[in-house]
Amino acid sequence: MLRQVRQTTGNDLQWAEDVVQETLLRAWRNAAKLTWERSLLWAWLLTVSRRIVIDGRRRRGVRPREVEPPEADSIAVPDDADKTLAAIVVADALRGLSADHREVIEQTYLRDRTVNEAAVILGIPPGTVKSRLYYALRSLRGVLKERGVAS
Amino acid sequence: MSESSHHEVAAYALGVLDDGDVEAFERHLDACERCRQELKTMSELPGLLDGVKSSSERAN
Repeated sequence: MLRQVRQTTGNDLQWAEDVVQETLLRAWRNAAKLTWERSLLWAWLLTVSRRIVIDGRRRRGVRPREVEPPEADSIAVPDDADKTLAAIVVADALRGLSADHREVIEQTYLRDRTVNEAAVILGIPPGTVKSRLYYALRSLRGVLKERGVAS
Repeated sequence: MSESSHHEVAAYALGVLDDGDVEAFERHLDACERCRQELKTMSELPGLLDGVKSSSERAN
């Protein structure tokens, strides 16, 4: 979990450790969920940790500076070739989505904004953001699966 | 349940669902096998998107 959370915190280990601790505390308070099957429980824990990171970023006022999917040749020299390759494929897959779909992913997850915040910025109802995100993630996953990046 | 409640699974998986909606969606999740399956299949996407985010941060 620490490894996953570290990616979300942009490799800030101290912050990631705090997030994991807070996540496990919340899990403890939601003991009913601990009866869920393992893979679902894992997915749930990740959603909890992500909300903690996004809230924390907002409080700190730290946001990713650049959110357009980077051009493939602008991606920094790899310290981990596999990860960088995956990032190139993901950036390319994002560019391949319809404009509506790409936009909702950019305006929410990639900018640490919630659905309601993105809805205001985009001038569309929150329900539309949710539906677009749903179809956007489904098609993103389809493309990534085809390219061997997602399972 | 309307179709739109199932759509919330994507925002939930990304952790961008607003606090007020999280609790209601989790109650839905308790009862909805379809959303549980989709949550599992969507749960690796945020990690993959983090790669795009951090490479764009580094590129600056």
